[in-house]
Amino acid sequence: MTISTFILKNALRNKRRAALSISSVAVSLFLLVTLQVALRELTLPPPSAGAELRVAVRNKISLTNPLPLRQRGLIEKIPGVEAVTPFTWFGGKYKNEEGMSFAQFAMDADKLNSVFGEAKMAPGGYAAFNAAKDACVLGKITADKYHLKVGDRITLDSTVYPGSLTFRIAGIYAGTPDDRNMLFRQDYLDESIGVPGYVGMWWLKVKSAEDMAPVIKAVNAAFQNTSAEVRAESERNFQLGFISMLGNIKTLIASISTVVVFTLVLVTASTMSMAVRERFRELAILKALGFRRRELFAFILAESFGLTVAGAVLGIGSAYALYTFGDIGKMTAGIFVSFEVTSRIMGFAALVAAVLGIVSAVAPSLAVARMSVVNGLKTLD
Amino acid sequence: MKGLVAETIVKIRELTKLYSQGEIQVTALNHITLDIAAGEFLALMGPSGSGKSTLLHIIAGVDRPTSGECLVQGVDVTKLNESELADWRNHNVGFIFQTFNLIPVLTAAENVELPLLLTHLTRAQRRRQVETALEVVGLADRAKHLPRQLSGGQEQRVAIARALVTDPALIVADEPTGNLDSHSAQEVLGALQSLRKDAGKTIIMVTHDPKAAAFGTRQIHLEKGELS
Repeated sequence: MTISTFILKNALRNKRRAALSISSVAVSLFLLVTLQVALRELTLPPPSAGAELRVAVRNKISLTNPLPLRQRGLIEKIPGVEAVTPFTWFGGKYKNEEGMSFAQFAMDADKLNSVFGEAKMAPGGYAAFNAAKDACVLGKITADKYHLKVGDRITLDSTVYPGSLTFRIAGIYAGTPDDRNMLFRQDYLDESIGVPGYVGMWWLKVKSAEDMAPVIKAVNAAFQNTSAEVRAESERNFQLGFISMLGNIKTLIASISTVVVFTLVLVTASTMSMAVRERFRELAILKALGFRRRELFAFILAESFGLTVAGAVLGIGSAYALYTFGDIGKMTAGIFVSFEVTSRIMGFAALVAAVLGIVSAVAPSLAVARMSVVNGLKTLD
Repeated sequence: MKGLVAETIVKIRELTKLYSQGEIQVTALNHITLDIAAGEFLALMGPSGSGKSTLLHIIAGVDRPTSGECLVQGVDVTKLNESELADWRNHNVGFIFQTFNLIPVLTAAENVELPLLLTHLTRAQRRRQVETALEVVGLADRAKHLPRQLSGGQEQRVAIARALVTDPALIVADEPTGNLDSHSAQEVLGALQSLRKDAGKTIIMVTHDPKAAAFGTRQIHLEKGELS
């Protein structure tokens, strides 16, 4: 027999309790990893190929306030601007679904390639989008989800504008960080709602990275003291602005994670306390045989550490396997496009498990250290 | 000259142990002075609460007196710190308890091996010593049995093997036959007697039972913390 055999035999003496303890640690760490990955996905927008040359221009008051169509001419004249397209939220509901499962935006069909060039389509897709006023292009994730293909017609009921619009799918795109959106033509929207002269926002493509700062400055200045002042910003800043609106969700996820870790500490500490309490007499015997406090502490620590590490391997491993090899789009009904379990997150969860193993061993170890052999021997089995 | 002038292995002088029970102070041992010779089989007798187990625990280094001296093989165990005492116990004392106190998840051989895990012996050396200890108590064929697969008498003999596996000079036994039927008790007491006769061990045994005490070479009685 070796010391490790002795520790292992002790840890597994109550197999059901050991299995339940390992499972509770595994489930909690699985949840912790899931929450951390969700938080990361929500707060870290995925990089986009053309992002460094794109500028978002929105109403300075709020994103929901529209911008006048007349601004377009002025923006196009600013040096460094290569292309401009309106981008208007339609808010359509597909079929009888309760909420919107994918976003739809109206834009200029002929600017799709120049402004959002990373959206790749089968040959003829761009031309078909340009050719028909009711044409639309659909992200691959949404097309797959609803089994839609080029040539199909879809009707959306708008929650922003009165009535509904019917579109014909001209192409299915992929290659953007979020292949879920539907893009259709601004002139189709204008025509259906009576050309109101407003758009949701503008997306600009600048000629080079050096043009970004001057163009942003010039666009902001161009509409200062007008009835529709704008905020122009890089795509990255625009996304981070969105993320700041998720402040409460971040707090919520952080709070749930804290509760998970705290519960985990209680569960593991209670398990270890029970395990040690029920063999207090045996630990007193070991002390009588010559085992010192530090050796008994090492036994308890190793047992506690072993349980949490086994739980961590199971919990973190399952999360990694599920989110790496599973179809996250299907699992989350398209809410998340990617769900990457990074090594940093796995490291964090493993660290939580390690700290947990140590913390859980402290209270029973102190009790054993304080226990005299005589009092320990009086403990009933 | 062993057998003619026996060396004193335990030398106790003015040993006193006081317990506090709330505001009341209880005297467990009252100025005890006692010498125990090497190779003796001492039976410590007395009614419950007379202090015999307390005296045994102090001699074995698992309890501390309030005052007085307790020298075992020349070492005053009352002066050793916690860590030194643990080390001293491992090398010098073998314990036998009333309720056997074997670890239920370990086999007989593994239970006997426990004290050897603290030594620098190799695995093979440990195995040899365990085999020898189990042979001495006549349980070599039960080495792989778990405690629950053994009778009470066999469990206690495994405990005896565990007590002698480190080859200590002193073996302390607290009511070793208290949980056994008369046949098993005879076996255990016979084993202890052999250890004294054949291996020259000094044995101090606490017991209520006069028949068990009769196996000893000397009997002493404690009454209200004093030798009578």
